[in-house]
Amino acid sequence: MLDEPARILVAAALCWINFVAIDVFFRLPESGGVCGATAIAQEVEKGGGALHGGYMLGNIVSSPDASAGTLLAACGVYCAGLSGGLFAALLVYIGNRICYDPGYAGTTGAITATFLVYGMTQVGFAATDFIAGMVIAILTIQGISHVHSSRLIARLWEIRGRLLGGP
Amino acid sequence: MNDIVMAASVILILIGMAAAIFNRDPFDKLISLSVLIAGVFPFIIDRGFLDIAIATALIAPLSTIFILMVCRRVQE
Amino acid sequence: MIAIYVCAAIAVYAALRVIAERNTMRKLPFVNVISFAVTAIIALLLPHPLTILATAAYFVGSTLESNAIASTWAGGIKKP
Repeated sequence: MLDEPARILVAAALCWINFVAIDVFFRLPESGGVCGATAIAQEVEKGGGALHGGYMLGNIVSSPDASAGTLLAACGVYCAGLSGGLFAALLVYIGNRICYDPGYAGTTGAITATFLVYGMTQVGFAATDFIAGMVIAILTIQGISHVHSSRLIARLWEIRGRLLGGP
Repeated sequence: MNDIVMAASVILILIGMAAAIFNRDPFDKLISLSVLIAGVFPFIIDRGFLDIAIATALIAPLSTIFILMVCRRVQE
Repeated sequence: MIAIYVCAAIAVYAALRVIAERNTMRKLPFVNVISFAVTAIIALLLPHPLTILATAAYFVGSTLESNAIASTWAGGIKKP
């Protein structure tokens, strides 16, 4: 259908939307889940970023959230098809319990990503595009500029607050 | 395993090793060890040693956690 | 099959950002990017059903390790 670099970029955009939407929906930017996440958020704020974006960056580092779920689901679909993706979702849930996290964001992200990747493989994409795409997506949030990405996440958190009401 | 992936893993190992030697702060040293073990992993997987990979993946972070607990006990 | 080259390049870029960053806590997101990239490389090198276990074990272990480093740096868990 499309050429491989274009497919990887489209997959990256889809993975970005999947994991950012689920993480913001599950209130990851609200506060640090563990004290390590709070420490990272404070350092990001000292460097010029936004505090709520820093909380989300800290939560992504400290516990398996929807970004981890999406990546492991894509790897699962690549290795073993639809059942591989669901098995990966189960492993994400177990990993969340080990980190004392309730685990909703990670498992939900994994399940939606499993169906997304499996569906897209039926229309001409390859599961490897989604694996590389997810790595590119996490690079844009955590690997280029913490200042800018934390401000973007803080703005998305404000929009969520306005759309879905207060906590 | 093709050359580019092997070169990238070797670069990760060398960067982790150099950073672990030249950093002063103990937390920076532990972070550099984490980068180093990340570079070793593709070599283990490439040979097909999946069980060794799973064991290493569980043991290496546990040893970091034990080092952190020992350091905190010594500081107090 | 350029997916694995993309992940290898991202891993090297993130490793360079790790050593360029001075602040310890701000290094941790770059280490997280390295974990993502190496997890992807593991899955792409060996497409076997058991690889899912290896990728999940590596990723959860790396996340636990970063969490432990961040928590210890921040002064540990507050005892009630």
